[in-house]
Amino acid sequence: MVAVGGAEQMVLSSDAVLSSDARWEMVDRLTRQTVTYGTYKRTLGDVLGELTVKPLTGIPVAVAALFAFWSIFCSFAGALVTDGFMVKLFDAHWLPWLQSLWPDPASWHYFVFVGDPLADNCFEAFGVLTSGLFVSIGVVLPAILIFYLMMTVLEDSGYLPRLAVLVDSVLHRVGLHGYAIVPAILGLGCNVPAVTATRILETRKQRFIMMSLLAIFIPCGAQLGVMLEVIPDMVGMVFLCLIVGFCLFGYILNKVIPGENPEILVDVPPYHWPVKENVAKKLCNRTKGFLKEAVPFVLFGVLVVNLLYLGGVIQALAAFFEPLFVTWFGVPKETVGPLIAAFLRKDLAIAQLSVIPMTAYQMFASVVLISIYFPCVATFVVMLREGWKELIAALAVLFVVVFAYGGLIHAIGILLGVA
Amino acid sequence: MADSTKNKITVLMVGNPNVGKSALFNRMTGSNAVVSNYPGTTVDFTKGTLIEGRQEYEIIDVPGTYSLEPRDAAEEVAVRMLRDCPDAIVMIVFDATKIDRGLYIALEVMERGMPCIVAVNMMDAAHDKKITVDTAGLQRLLGVPVVATTATSGEGIRELAEQIRKAQVADLDAILKRLNGENTAKKQVSGCGGCGGC
Repeated sequence: MVAVGGAEQMVLSSDAVLSSDARWEMVDRLTRQTVTYGTYKRTLGDVLGELTVKPLTGIPVAVAALFAFWSIFCSFAGALVTDGFMVKLFDAHWLPWLQSLWPDPASWHYFVFVGDPLADNCFEAFGVLTSGLFVSIGVVLPAILIFYLMMTVLEDSGYLPRLAVLVDSVLHRVGLHGYAIVPAILGLGCNVPAVTATRILETRKQRFIMMSLLAIFIPCGAQLGVMLEVIPDMVGMVFLCLIVGFCLFGYILNKVIPGENPEILVDVPPYHWPVKENVAKKLCNRTKGFLKEAVPFVLFGVLVVNLLYLGGVIQALAAFFEPLFVTWFGVPKETVGPLIAAFLRKDLAIAQLSVIPMTAYQMFASVVLISIYFPCVATFVVMLREGWKELIAALAVLFVVVFAYGGLIHAIGILLGVA
Repeated sequence: MADSTKNKITVLMVGNPNVGKSALFNRMTGSNAVVSNYPGTTVDFTKGTLIEGRQEYEIIDVPGTYSLEPRDAAEEVAVRMLRDCPDAIVMIVFDATKIDRGLYIALEVMERGMPCIVAVNMMDAAHDKKITVDTAGLQRLLGVPVVATTATSGEGIRELAEQIRKAQVADLDAILKRLNGENTAKKQVSGCGGCGGC
């Protein structure tokens, strides 16, 4: 037994007085005197726990689970609530009512708050009270509600660590380890908590790679919700494009950035039935957070963009960036407006794209561009909190990626003859 | 006692990841810390207030850590909190099904000479797994209050809150002696005289 440092109780230094072995020996003796183990019968939960973590049975389950997640998300948010109810409510009642009520269609305030007097749907009108409210309440709210409900079930059941074990070997190729799936999935809800969640990764290299890839390639729930409305047929393609980009640039970053990518030991907890109160509480808090923080931001975003239009700023920027946009990215110069909005809210930016007349390919390319372009301001702020050096480096990576990947997609489009 | 009601006492909740610190924290303070079933849900600290027996406590939910030698940024937050709050009471939270791991970090905290209290959480899971934990025996051996809790149902929370004021600085030498079967009860009393924690 290693001697304990005298009788001194007040050891305030951070240096341990016991060696790790001595500590474990004490732990051993303490548990022997206080803990007794009865005969334990394996339960259904334990069996399921094992089946979902072994690759042979676990991978099909993971694919099925994620597919179910996605299908429920699409059918509930896209088809049922938004198309079935919100579109009718906003387009048939709210918009005509506002258009008839608001005085002087030629005035600047009509343009800012109601938008296009000839619009027959809330996407195209693009006023603060028409598109702003429609996007945030009609489209994004149902999307994040169902997303967070399902994510809470994933979180509370104990499935996430098992998913982490399954994807570990794949993620190791892009400089991450399996546990990076946790911030990745959180990021599909909202990038802001996901950036903080990268703290569970061990090395600075892993955190940096994850944070950069997160900000660039992981679309948030709000953005997904609007994508489902604006380009329902192309969401799959956009996703594929983002996943390919995630892996490609992860692979490159892993080669370029010095540092380690150690193996992990994941503590896989037993399955639990999600506790109803906890699910309700989390859902309620997240929704409240959205209503309090995101909705005002969407409305504010529409206001800013409309004022910039009125001031001619966006038209000037569009003219200035035209060569870059048209020749390099292959998208119309009007995309400048949505790109400015994307800095505030990406969901808003995608909604704004729907107003610009363009081909299907251009639409696809601009949605990808908005996804990978600058993180929204909220994400930007939390990234800054995690370290300004990392933020600057991540922005450098971002510029390179936007140019390289945006150009690459355009090149592929040209080769396929669609651009 | 009268003037101690004015001063907040800081209580740091420390323990392995996924033992239910945030769930306990929510129960004690009525806060809304995010609770999930995977290690690493809490990556930053959350503060809440508990008023118990006219004493106001500032409870801090600290990210889980396997040891006080941090492996990642979340664990660094935990170690930093312990360093920055040297006068705090430490509430060490155990998973009743994994007592050994909890004890390891408990000993690390105890070595720092901070007053401690232990919550053996997830007693329901231990019961399901036919694991029995002798919390009274643990309390006798460690010389700090040990309370059995189940955060999801709220069992033991009341007692845990009441016991915070009895938190003790553990004496590792005395623990070793008690493990060897020596009776240190008298020494404990004399060692208790000056701490003023009671």
